[in-house]
Amino acid sequence: MRLTAAQERMRADGTPAQRKAIEILTAIGELAGAEDLVKIGSAHVSGASYKMIGDAGLEFLEDFARDARVAVPTSVNPLGTDLAQWRDLGVPAAFAEKQARIARAYEAMGASPTYSCTPYHVGIRPAKGEHVAWSESNAVCFANSVLGARTNREGGPSALAAALVGATPNYGLHLDGGRRATVVIDVRGRVAGFRISLLGLAAGTIAGDGVPYFRGLRADEADLKWLGAALASSGSCGMFHVERLTPEWRAAGTRGLEVVRVSNGDLDAVQAKYTDGSEADLIALGSPQLSGEELEEIARLVGRSPPRIPVWVFASRAVRDAHPAAVAAIEGSGGRVLADTCLEVTLLEHRFGTVATPSGKGAYYLPSLCHQKVILEDIESILERYA
Amino acid sequence: MRLPARRIAPGRADAEALVSRGPFSFVGGADPATGEILDESSGLRGASLRGRGFAFPHGKGSTVGSYVIYGLAKRGAGPAALLMSRADAIVAVGAVLGGIPMVDSVDLGALLTGDRVVVDADAGHVDLPDVRATPVVTAFVRNRGRFLLVRRGDRVSAFPGKWSGISGFVEGDEDPKVRAVTEVREETGLRGLRLRAAGPTLVARHGPTAFVVHPFLFDAPSRAARLDWENVEARWVRGAEIPDFDAVPRLADAFASVLGPPRVRKR
Repeated sequence: MRLTAAQERMRADGTPAQRKAIEILTAIGELAGAEDLVKIGSAHVSGASYKMIGDAGLEFLEDFARDARVAVPTSVNPLGTDLAQWRDLGVPAAFAEKQARIARAYEAMGASPTYSCTPYHVGIRPAKGEHVAWSESNAVCFANSVLGARTNREGGPSALAAALVGATPNYGLHLDGGRRATVVIDVRGRVAGFRISLLGLAAGTIAGDGVPYFRGLRADEADLKWLGAALASSGSCGMFHVERLTPEWRAAGTRGLEVVRVSNGDLDAVQAKYTDGSEADLIALGSPQLSGEELEEIARLVGRSPPRIPVWVFASRAVRDAHPAAVAAIEGSGGRVLADTCLEVTLLEHRFGTVATPSGKGAYYLPSLCHQKVILEDIESILERYA
Repeated sequence: MRLPARRIAPGRADAEALVSRGPFSFVGGADPATGEILDESSGLRGASLRGRGFAFPHGKGSTVGSYVIYGLAKRGAGPAALLMSRADAIVAVGAVLGGIPMVDSVDLGALLTGDRVVVDADAGHVDLPDVRATPVVTAFVRNRGRFLLVRRGDRVSAFPGKWSGISGFVEGDEDPKVRAVTEVREETGLRGLRLRAAGPTLVARHGPTAFVVHPFLFDAPSRAARLDWENVEARWVRGAEIPDFDAVPRLADAFASVLGPPRVRKR
């Protein structure tokens, strides 16, 4: 792989962290067949939840933070609990203390303490054609598909390495060829609201690590967020196109591709497949974290029909702070609006066994990452059931 | 002998090989404090990674593996070098973070646990100073969709009683293809052979000897094979049956290299 003169200097004479960062990018670039590194405008780093990375990750991050400093604006994925409310959630003090150390390590590196899986809801919206290095699969899908920015599905350490160097291996979704559609999903009948997440789960299974192209789908930006989040969970997709809607659909190149029809009947089957619980002890909303508009809508719904079981609502700290009335309404109805964290990476298995959620991403990961049974259903039905 | 390899993480190490035949996860696969292997399926449970040239085909499991490798290296409990068939980002990142030399595209058939391995990632090769390379040919002879396998007699020096293709030693600097034609003629009496494919070499170990196998595929005009002293039984078999034979090491790999992977039989 070719490095620029500046990158070669960093490799030879950089700080220990810079030298490791260059080696990581070189190794990953060689594995992927990249010819060089491409400069990035921002990085988004996953691997911040103590529940996910454990003592091994904490040890590495604290060591690395001694001399690692990010070279581009860098945001960080959700933590394993809310740094302000952990006591009320029954989170063990040792867990919260180690979680806070992870946060401090990232902040020492110069990363911005967003602790959000939806950087696009907190003003981090790269321009069309801008190269970035983002990990967190839903954000990757959103950046590529909705914004037209360019990023691979980075791993946490590779996105961190890219943040230090200001560049990332140039392959896959950074190149025009990697952004072409690989399969057409022909959506039969009207699919909207919650069912968009079911469509994402179905499409991820069909597309695998490819780029699905949706035909016959009408959606707004919020729908596309839920579509991408589910798609990037059941599949290892980093991008999708929607005909006549997303910025690069004309360049998707669908001629000769396999066409797979997905009907509302198929989506009913998806919902049944991901539902293995019968009686929930927690309602979880978010995953990805909610936007301000979504938080307002939840406040309205929960206020109208306060549930008899706990409701955890996930939003970024920035969104939570910007919508105090919605937070007050939800918490006044017995719910909790949690910041700094999100559904699958948060510690909840110490208290709950079955989660009801409308999140396709949540339904996909809750069994493996949180040892939960799942009820995958739309929010109105869940609130009605547990009123 | 020397094996070609691809540099993944820089450095050089001289170590004793530890070879897992199956994929390996550093999360749960090894004690993160001591480097003791916990994974039963590796066949190495109880062995220690510490200071070894750890070889495994490919990684599996959680991305936290990168950090586990880092922690092992930091405590001096990690491997001295990593050798893989096919590297992945999790292990590669761990090797870089831990400062462990790492290569991939290594033919792990050439390695046995206990071998001395000298890994030079920067130069792109792995040396086995105590292993002698011996080039051989293995010819698969095809007639009307079936392939000739022979069972080796008791008087052959290596792998008596095992099933194999038609094989023999490459002598001096002769062309392996010519040697393959000669061996088929001598061992089967078949004439009118047409060369159809020559696969990349692969290595099969027999004690301190490493047979560097040159695989070939020939079409023969008939199945009228007459065996000489080396082999005691001949069968014309379907390609999909070859992995089921009690065969010389890596026979199925050699077959796959000239014909693509064996097709799974329909149930």
